[in-house]
Amino acid sequence: MDVQQLLNGLFVGSIYALFAIGFTLVFGVLDRLNLAHPAVFTVAAFVGIELVAVGGLSIWAALPVVFVVGGLLGLVIEQVAFRPLKGRADAHFAGLISSIALAGMFIALLQWRYGPDTKRFPAESFPETTYKVLGAQVTGVQVAILLITIVLAVGLHLLVGRTRLGRSMRATAENPTAARVVGVNVDRVSATTLAISSALGAVAGALFAMNVNSAQLGMGGAIELKGLAVIVVGGMASLPGALVGGLLLGLAEVFTVQYIGSSWRDLVAFGLLFLILVVRPQGLFGTRKVREV
Amino acid sequence: MPGDATLVFIAISGIFAFSFYAVLVAGQLSLGQAGFAAIAAFGSATLAPAPSQVGDVPALLIAVAIGMSMGVLASIVLGLPTMHLRGVFLAIATLGFAEAVRILIINMESLGGAQGMPVPKVVTPAIAWVFLLLVAYWFWRQGPSRYGRALAAIREDELAARAMGIDVGRHRLQVFVTSGALAGLYGVLWAYFVRLIAPEDFSFTTAIDGLVTAVVGGSTLFVGPILGSIFLTLVPDLQRAIGIDAGWIRPFLASLLLLLVILFLPGGLASLVPRRVRMPAVTGTDLGSEAAGLETRQHPADGEPVVRLRGLSKDYGGVHAVRGVDLEVTGGEILGLIGPNGAGKTTLVNMISGLVRGTSGTVEVLGIRPGRTAVHRVAAAGVSRTFQQSRLFPRLSALENTLVGSHVLTRPTFVRRMLWLPSARRDEQRALQHAARCLRRVGLADKAAVPAKALSYGDQRRLEIARALAADPSLLILDEPAAGMNHVEAAGLSDLIGALGRDGLTILLIEHNVAMVMRTCSRIVVLNFGEVIATGSPEEVAANSEVVEAYLGSAEPEGEPR
Repeated sequence: MDVQQLLNGLFVGSIYALFAIGFTLVFGVLDRLNLAHPAVFTVAAFVGIELVAVGGLSIWAALPVVFVVGGLLGLVIEQVAFRPLKGRADAHFAGLISSIALAGMFIALLQWRYGPDTKRFPAESFPETTYKVLGAQVTGVQVAILLITIVLAVGLHLLVGRTRLGRSMRATAENPTAARVVGVNVDRVSATTLAISSALGAVAGALFAMNVNSAQLGMGGAIELKGLAVIVVGGMASLPGALVGGLLLGLAEVFTVQYIGSSWRDLVAFGLLFLILVVRPQGLFGTRKVREV
Repeated sequence: MPGDATLVFIAISGIFAFSFYAVLVAGQLSLGQAGFAAIAAFGSATLAPAPSQVGDVPALLIAVAIGMSMGVLASIVLGLPTMHLRGVFLAIATLGFAEAVRILIINMESLGGAQGMPVPKVVTPAIAWVFLLLVAYWFWRQGPSRYGRALAAIREDELAARAMGIDVGRHRLQVFVTSGALAGLYGVLWAYFVRLIAPEDFSFTTAIDGLVTAVVGGSTLFVGPILGSIFLTLVPDLQRAIGIDAGWIRPFLASLLLLLVILFLPGGLASLVPRRVRMPAVTGTDLGSEAAGLETRQHPADGEPVVRLRGLSKDYGGVHAVRGVDLEVTGGEILGLIGPNGAGKTTLVNMISGLVRGTSGTVEVLGIRPGRTAVHRVAAAGVSRTFQQSRLFPRLSALENTLVGSHVLTRPTFVRRMLWLPSARRDEQRALQHAARCLRRVGLADKAAVPAKALSYGDQRRLEIARALAADPSLLILDEPAAGMNHVEAAGLSDLIGALGRDGLTILLIEHNVAMVMRTCSRIVVLNFGEVIATGSPEEVAANSEVVEAYLGSAEPEGEPR
């Protein structure tokens, strides 16, 4: 077993996980697939680079700003793409399309501000220090990626499980109408959920840009498909599932590249996805809902 | 005037949008079309003879035949293991399939890898539009056929569709395969127009474009995909013409327009097309006229067994919903089933109608075994029901709801409609008149064109009965039909049930309105905690002390939360 590859898989996998956690949170609480999530991921990467390159912030200071920017974008998504569809019979399909449309607008605006070219962090942005772990070399950024993912995932887990807001979210997930009856402000829960989800997606985008030191307009498309695969593999609406699924996918990809070939890397996600859907449709951590008659 | 290329792109992206429309009309979201298109494009480009050998049009037709067959095959192969998936799960699984196809093609040297392969250019605007119009014709004829109505019913409420005798699994696979064939057609036309096909032409973005075209155009009317395609193909042209297409502006405006359409035009562009509401030209107002009717079923004679339950039980986890019920219902009987909330009444009728399978014991209804037989077969055998909580097809009109009810009595009309056979029209007319009679029987004749969701609560309950009656059932199960009705309405309903019983129907009535059950039923079964605690005539049951204690004495039987 190659420790270096194992660690690389964990780092990239934790970015997938962070992205997928945000994705699955909206699906779990609001029963909507937010396809503007990858656009938030992309916006955050560019904003992160600008904050460092132009604003002069350190990469660590840029992350909280990106988190807030992501949260604000989440509020915009909720207001523009989902709120107006409330009560419509086709809200499911319409929400897919409206979020795709909004994503297109976000990306077009990015193109307006930053142009179509790849952007990079200034050369001196990253700490020089590297660490030796079991003979493998690990950069400070990579360690940070793993730690930040774990902290955010645990934080979200506590938020959902322990707080009043989390209880409202769980109630809304169970049954929005009933939640409203017992006094939950479902509109506010929707907005908060999208804000949190997008903030996590934004941090994932900035970390991704740091990990590969580049940001491109098309970067959201690739992770979108992987994110979908991860949330199905982990179990739709399961937060631990998204975490484990993301890490699993990162590892599987790294080992595919090493043992099979790099052009097969992207097949891994869909192979896993397919296997899970056919064998265990509720995913690794999901529970099957009993149909009501 | 749009150029040749624009005309071709409108036509072929219209065809691609139809491959989404094909599944959307049945409420399915599948995103595998780009994969089917890729298989068809590369497959036909590899296998079909060159136009230089056999001529342009023959070469294209052979390629289309190959591509559509490959689309059909691929969609069967993908459909069989994924048809149990619903909603976004199906979308994601099919999307995964399409991506896997793309990556496989990239890795196949013989197909040119990521660079792709050259294909002769054969498709002209005329050819592309002929194909588009053929596809549109298909869906034009499909819409108001028995098949088209069954698909709409599945879209609106899958479970209710099943209970009305529609084989949901078969229909879902059919639309999936239709979609695969059309995606294949698109792939071939694309390949024979753009000169060079690459795996990138069939990416996730392609699939999303197709979906967007279908949704923007609207999936309620067959012209939707064409309108969507014209709109989305012309917008960039228009922007170029008026000079606002610099870099980011074009994608921005295109996305903004998409957002506006989806937010403010819920039915898509097709909803702008005025639609005439088709009303049945009802002739023969006499209800008993058998000549024009669809009723051919031989109901069990008085005293013949219709339902036979032996030791029937159902456990949910540790909860015994139904325990060891023995029950026999005979032909022509109007049996009342009463009991306190949670007594297991609905579970019991769910087992009789085949929606739920018992944990132990046997169910025999009209000679078949519900629970071991698919729900739609139970319906076809002559079991029809209403649901405790209304499960109408909300966006279909009252008449259309009732027409779906007659699914088990009618013959398929789609193929005959496509060939304009007069017998199809005759069958449709008979079905319409049958449905109209059923509506009239429950007093909804004047509401035939109203969408079910717009009906009052009481009217919805009545429409459920009309829909169930339209199947000409031998056994009619009514699950709390009078809930929410006032006394006058309930009395009218009671009269109707009595009249149906005199027509030879066997009726199982679950009801909380005890007075109504006493008035309507010839025999009453009382259920408590999943067990039969009393059986007998209304008088006997009313005198039974156990019943009085368990049920009749309870303070407030109405308005229970579910």
